[in-house]
Amino acid sequence: MIALARSAPLVLHDIHADVWHAHTLSRSVLPVLATGDALLDAQLPGGGWPVGALTEILQPPGVHSEWRLLLPALAHSGLGPVLLVGAPHLPFAPALAAQGLKAQRLVWVKAQAMDARLWACEQALRCAEVSAVLAWLPQARSEQLRRLQMAAAEHSKLLFVMRPASAQDEASPAALRLHLQPHAAAPPLADSLQVRLLKRRGPPLAKPISLQARASPLTLLLASSQAHALDCRTSRA
Amino acid sequence: MHWIAVQAAPEPQALALADADTALGWWALQFTPLVARVEHSLVLEVSGSERLFGGRAALLQRLFASLPPAITLQQAQGETSLLALGRLWAQTPEAPIHSLPLHTLAAARAHLPTLQRLGCAHWGQLRALPRGGLARRFGAALVDALDSAYGQRPELYPWLTLPELFDAPLELSAAVETAPALLFGARRLLAQLLVWLRARQRGVLALELLWELDARRSNALHVDAHHSGGAQGRLELRTAEATQDMQHLQRLLGEQLARVSLPAPVLYLRLRSLQTQALAGESHSLLPEDQRKGDSLHQTLERLGARLGSEQVLCVQPQARHVPEQMQAWLPWTALAAKKAGSALSDQAALLPTWLLAVPQQLPLKEGVPQYHGALALLAGPQRLETGWLEGEATLRDYFVARSAKAGLVWIYRERLASGGQKNASAELRLRWYVHGLFA
Repeated sequence: MIALARSAPLVLHDIHADVWHAHTLSRSVLPVLATGDALLDAQLPGGGWPVGALTEILQPPGVHSEWRLLLPALAHSGLGPVLLVGAPHLPFAPALAAQGLKAQRLVWVKAQAMDARLWACEQALRCAEVSAVLAWLPQARSEQLRRLQMAAAEHSKLLFVMRPASAQDEASPAALRLHLQPHAAAPPLADSLQVRLLKRRGPPLAKPISLQARASPLTLLLASSQAHALDCRTSRA
Repeated sequence: MHWIAVQAAPEPQALALADADTALGWWALQFTPLVARVEHSLVLEVSGSERLFGGRAALLQRLFASLPPAITLQQAQGETSLLALGRLWAQTPEAPIHSLPLHTLAAARAHLPTLQRLGCAHWGQLRALPRGGLARRFGAALVDALDSAYGQRPELYPWLTLPELFDAPLELSAAVETAPALLFGARRLLAQLLVWLRARQRGVLALELLWELDARRSNALHVDAHHSGGAQGRLELRTAEATQDMQHLQRLLGEQLARVSLPAPVLYLRLRSLQTQALAGESHSLLPEDQRKGDSLHQTLERLGARLGSEQVLCVQPQARHVPEQMQAWLPWTALAAKKAGSALSDQAALLPTWLLAVPQQLPLKEGVPQYHGALALLAGPQRLETGWLEGEATLRDYFVARSAKAGLVWIYRERLASGGQKNASAELRLRWYVHGLFA
């Protein structure tokens, strides 16, 4: 018996899929959806957004970069509707459609009260056809989020919860927590979106991941208008 | 000819249906079109449809397997309806016809004391009496009934039919004071509706629940969304897809009733179908993993709409307009509106912001530079928008993409004065800047 145990080296994930070495990423048992950014995929367990778990996105006040982060994945998340629960502004459907999220997939639940939003989220997660739920829950408590996490796990749905950066120090049942901060760079360098992984199933990540700040058509527009401005200046000189 | 007589066993808790007798009749119509009610029992003539169900045994098995909820049946069979009924009422399903007691023959019931004194206790003894005398003494009806029971006369009944529209009343056992408590009565009506829908193979799209207020305490002046001043209240329920799912209707009704306030106690309920649709059969996938569990989208969104208000659950309709706030219309979600949402995209759409502010927010100026979470640097623009002059409200705007140090890229515009022309420094300073969108 002892001889047998010595002969075969112990492989942790043979014990259980949820057990992993602290220095490696967990081999996620959850299905994942690629984020569309190779840099980010490399740092996420399983290589993408977890389907059937809560992903928490924290942003400082005034910043709403969730579309930049989520749109590439949502565009490839199937044909089912995407429910937006308590969006802070009007989602601009023509722009979202241009980036791959079709207008007929959008359903906006406009509830204001926190308990109504939580209830709507839970109902949406239970629906067979919904492919993703995006919820803005600034004041949700940990046990309420846990309930959503359970519902997402039971029905294996994509669930993203947007919260203010001040919630960073609160306990959270989320499988993945990210902190977003747009970073304005000096003109020759491109702006970036700094993504800090606050929590993941794996070792902590010290350095933020730096993603391209915006979709490519807009980047092109900005680059061309800068080039045009330079041309004007040189021709005047 | 082969007749089956059935009767619901008397149950103390037969409260699942609003009207169990009627429901049983509708249910029986799926086995044969020849169903008739005799007192509290039903007779079914099944010789014509036996073959369809694969024989008499299979039909009987099917009959018992598909019973409506909370009903147990007693049944007896025979070559004539009166024989089947006699066996059912005597509770001796196998008894030979001669030995059936006379009280189980409806036509003989009025003459029972006389017949008893004559020494007649069974059908066979009555049958043995001379016909002429019997007809003179007890009337022709008894002889005819006896002939029918022995299969020597055709049996005709007013056959039951399925009504075109569902309309069922219910008298409540006690006056109901609060609207949510009406759900208990409505649940029985819905169970009844389900029997009707199954029999007609239809799904319900719209129905209405009516209630009658207690006339003695009714306030005739009470007017709201559900009461129009009379002694009646009304609630209409609609669903996007034809359904037989009573759980869903019950949840919707519960949400709607939670918002009704009753001016007086309610004694009577009534449920009516307003719109139904033939239900196509569902096709299931053979692969088990294709069957996703959970509610369907229209059920979920209708439930959200019922609780939160339908103006809170929105879908989008893109519109071919130039003014950004008119490019999309968020409308209450309906299955039809959601399907129409697809439309051609303009090439400019990729350059639009993903968030739009519902009301453009005016920006404060510091030394002529607009501020939004810090000073804004203009990166691209102007994109000139000049439209609306035909509608009378001219929109003259120059859009810019600007960068805020803290909030990333924003979409701002400068309102141009309609008069134009005068270019002086003070006018330049009085320009108003608005933020209209966020590039997220």
